[in-house]
Amino acid sequence: MSEDQLHTHIIRAGSVKENNESLAGNTLLTDNLWRGAGLALVIVLWQVGVNLGWINAFLMGSPAGIAGEAWRLIQSGQLLDDTIATVSATVIGFLLGSILGSLAGLLLWFSRTTARIIDPFMVALNGLPKIALAPMIIIWFGSGMFSKVMLAFVATFVVALLTAYQGTHQIDRNLINLMRSLGASRRKIFTKVVAPATLPWIISAFRLNIGFALIAEIGGEFISSDRGLGRMIFVSGNLFNLNAVWVGVFMLMIVAIVLYVIVSQVEKRLLPWEKGQK
Amino acid sequence: MNASIAHSATLAAGTTDLLQLRQSVLSLDAVKKNFSRSDGESVEVIEDITLDIKHEEFVSIVGPSGCGKSTMFNIIAGLLEPSAGTITLCGHDPKRGARIGYMLQRDLLFPWRTIIDNVCLGLEVQGIPKARRYEIAHDYLARYGLADFAKQYPNTLSGGMRQRVALIRTLITEPDLILLDEPFSALDYQTRLVLEEEIVSILKDAHKTVVLITHDIGEAISMSDRVAVMTQRPASVKKIYDVGLSRELGSCLKARSDVRYQTFFDSIWNDLDIQISGGES
Repeated sequence: MSEDQLHTHIIRAGSVKENNESLAGNTLLTDNLWRGAGLALVIVLWQVGVNLGWINAFLMGSPAGIAGEAWRLIQSGQLLDDTIATVSATVIGFLLGSILGSLAGLLLWFSRTTARIIDPFMVALNGLPKIALAPMIIIWFGSGMFSKVMLAFVATFVVALLTAYQGTHQIDRNLINLMRSLGASRRKIFTKVVAPATLPWIISAFRLNIGFALIAEIGGEFISSDRGLGRMIFVSGNLFNLNAVWVGVFMLMIVAIVLYVIVSQVEKRLLPWEKGQK
Repeated sequence: MNASIAHSATLAAGTTDLLQLRQSVLSLDAVKKNFSRSDGESVEVIEDITLDIKHEEFVSIVGPSGCGKSTMFNIIAGLLEPSAGTITLCGHDPKRGARIGYMLQRDLLFPWRTIIDNVCLGLEVQGIPKARRYEIAHDYLARYGLADFAKQYPNTLSGGMRQRVALIRTLITEPDLILLDEPFSALDYQTRLVLEEEIVSILKDAHKTVVLITHDIGEAISMSDRVAVMTQRPASVKKIYDVGLSRELGSCLKARSDVRYQTFFDSIWNDLDIQISGGES
């Protein structure tokens, strides 16, 4: 074999990934049709059940009642106000906690000693349901938005820290040795290997933290607040206005989905090399 | 041990005068390595390695599994300190500086970097500005037929291609010594043969000095100028063979079909004294 033949041989051996996009598109469409149909069926059965008196609308709410309540809350502007209050406190606390926590976890890579010393405290804090801190945080920071930001922060910081730190430990020792053999300083090893290799871990912490931040936020609003979806659900529940409770619950679902989608989009931007692997 | 040094000395004097005239790139002198186990007991992994590798030479180190090959790799690469003995690379201690480029069984390409950014890694660490290092990298990629893949991520390439990228990443910093640690063992047989051929010719063209650590006797014979055979643990150099088939015939594949190939294979096989039942501790 000549040199040129060898080259073409290897270039041909370079795999070209199959493109299954059109197939995936069709499956997605059918899946969504089934989902929509299932959801519609549940709503129709629910309403029919209420109309025929099989389902107690006072205890369960009804689709028509929920729609009416939603319309009322949208028109009065209350739904928008509550949603904005909840989303802004959640997102600010979530971002602060997740970003600062991830940074702290990454920086622990520089000092194994510090990491070892604080490890049991972090594990203890991680196991603690952060909502247990809500009464204290509300006493310290009041019943306004700031205390909710702090709650979401506390709920997300430790998770992000532990996940990022664990991520730095999963890095292939050989990658770091390779950098050392190239004469890289610790700072360069950190920026060129440790940080990018930990990024997938950090993103997964962000994803988890959306849920944790929302739990802390809603829990905080249950305990003491002047607005927000959690307060709306809590107050409506006490008044046995189940339709309003459902409006709040659905709104929270939408908020959670939107936040997930945003994190996924950010992930696609930040981890372009993982496209081919999924 | 003394016998093996004498053996290598006579071989060098007898057959390859040219090599003897060249300056030595890497010398290991009575290198020894002990590890202390968790129970405090010291385990001797390397008893005594003495080896002198000349400029532009391709030397393989072959040993039975578990004989301490990867320890040797780490010592030569400067990642581990020997317990005793000295190791010099172009007259220096290899601990400092990027004078050794290495390539492992796993290509160690960074999945978050494109091919060209992977190739540039060493230059980037050296602080060479982006425009300049891209220029150098494009040159290398074009020379080895990888220019079309510059913007792709490693996970879109096959194992053989990724190893070629890894080799270019190693070559681009122009190291004094290239250290290969079983670089082909993760590849299928055909790709391996093709890549052996390629890598020998690339390294020869680049006038590189190479140490290949492997357990594959055939690979060692077909690629090397000399093959050093290790004993079981604790390792020392058992014998050094002057092979030089690929250099003489100009191809690793031809080396594999040469009559002398089988003779070398048989005697190295006997030296290794491999017992299937013998457990690796």
